[in-house]
Amino acid sequence: MTAGNPESQAGARQESSLESRYRKLLHAAPDAILEVNQEGQILILNEAVERMFGYSRDELLGLSVDQLVPAAMRGGHAQHRSAYADRPKSRPMGTGLELQGQRKDGSLFPVEISLSPNWIDGALHVIASVRDITERKAVEDRIRTLREQYTAELTLKNEQLEARNREVERANRLKNEFLASMSHELRTPLHTIIGFSELLGEQLEGPLGEKQQRFVGHILQDARHLLELINEILDISKIESGRLELKREPFEFSQCVEEVLGGIRHQAATKNITLENKNRFHDSLYADRLRVKEILYNLLSNAVKFTPEGGRVWVEAFSAGNFLHVSVCDTGIGIPEKEHPAIFEKFYQVGDARGGTREGTGLGLPITKHLVELHGGTINVESRPGQGSSFRLTFPLRPAS
Amino acid sequence: MKKILIADDKATSRELLRTVLERQGYAVTEAADGEEALQKALAESPDLILLDLQMPRRSGYEVLGELRKDPRHAELPIIAITASAMQGDREKALAAGFTGYMAKPVALVHLREEVNRLLQIKDFKTAGENG
Repeated sequence: MTAGNPESQAGARQESSLESRYRKLLHAAPDAILEVNQEGQILILNEAVERMFGYSRDELLGLSVDQLVPAAMRGGHAQHRSAYADRPKSRPMGTGLELQGQRKDGSLFPVEISLSPNWIDGALHVIASVRDITERKAVEDRIRTLREQYTAELTLKNEQLEARNREVERANRLKNEFLASMSHELRTPLHTIIGFSELLGEQLEGPLGEKQQRFVGHILQDARHLLELINEILDISKIESGRLELKREPFEFSQCVEEVLGGIRHQAATKNITLENKNRFHDSLYADRLRVKEILYNLLSNAVKFTPEGGRVWVEAFSAGNFLHVSVCDTGIGIPEKEHPAIFEKFYQVGDARGGTREGTGLGLPITKHLVELHGGTINVESRPGQGSSFRLTFPLRPAS
Repeated sequence: MKKILIADDKATSRELLRTVLERQGYAVTEAADGEEALQKALAESPDLILLDLQMPRRSGYEVLGELRKDPRHAELPIIAITASAMQGDREKALAAGFTGYMAKPVALVHLREEVNRLLQIKDFKTAGENG
């Protein structure tokens, strides 16, 4: 250290002096702190400057601060310094710019610099505090990269999801189109099978013998059964794809019960089963009239089907609170308790225990349950083998708003 | 004798409908596709048309559209007959201007009732206009 340098003079003093303590404070700072005169010569520096830029203290003292600026920027730096001299105040340097320092070995690193004026004997010196922000930059870069990666992955996932959605929609549309055309193709021949059977049965084209009448009756009955199955399969697929919509309207519930009982009367009479109407609800119900009829028809025809000769089948209904309570009861063969949940499942059929009757799709009760629930109602069964069954339903008198 | 035009591309279906309606005392003509249906409807001025919705050359909807353009056929009873029977089909047909709608399989009782009813309404209207 050369004599006349303010630092070496300070070094000669006692270590415990205030100045010495300030110097230690300066050297302990992680930022590189240096003071330059108006010509840009480095006058004072702390140890961090040496570490950061790779020069020794002796090399730095008296060196132009321009040497620490990247070679490419060096030309403009003198101008920047004189611009600062025009308006000297504490401020960050090169706000908004990506500043870099240049080490002795020529390598560059990102920095942040704060400048403060320091008047020494009427001359403007500048104190520069330089912070190496390599690590911070690296973290920021890493965060940016991660964010970009994440965004890219998210975009890709979204695209995949959208593509998948389109596929599902397309598959669903194809399924619906298939169902529509299948329904059309199956109904077309059924139309003539049922129509001509009806015509023959009417005997307008000539009398039929007893056996012939019976045979024509069989054709008609089974063709109608086939039609019911087609309708049920269509219904269940509509329910599953969420396309079954209710057409709610106010209607006379008691008239609806009468109509359904009328439709089942013939079936009951052939088995000598007594049909009773115990409906006590004579107001209008706000629901899908055709679907309510379908629900009642499904339950009543099941009741008749599973009730032996000479039994009883009846409908009860009354309103309580905001609900209409409906029960369809029979004195039939009943259902074992362990099968109660299963009977509302698709394709479940109560086995040989129910008189060996295994006709139907096993879709009637699941459809009925769906239709009741679409209305916001509930359905459950009470039954014991040999003691008959009661299907208990509720319907909201008004739909939930 | 009232004239009914049956338009259906299925010959068995035409025979079924013809048999039922002739027994009711109506004169029946047949068309096997939409174009033929339109030509016969224009040439023979039937009192009622049973129009299948899905037919070659012209759909039932197209035939209906052409006929309804002519004020003479604005009130002509035209019944849509279709095997498609999907939800909303009836509403769609009635909204398009069909007088009635029947899903296949058509119950014969229902067919007779509907045809008789629409022709009686037509008679009543005509009587009203003439009186």
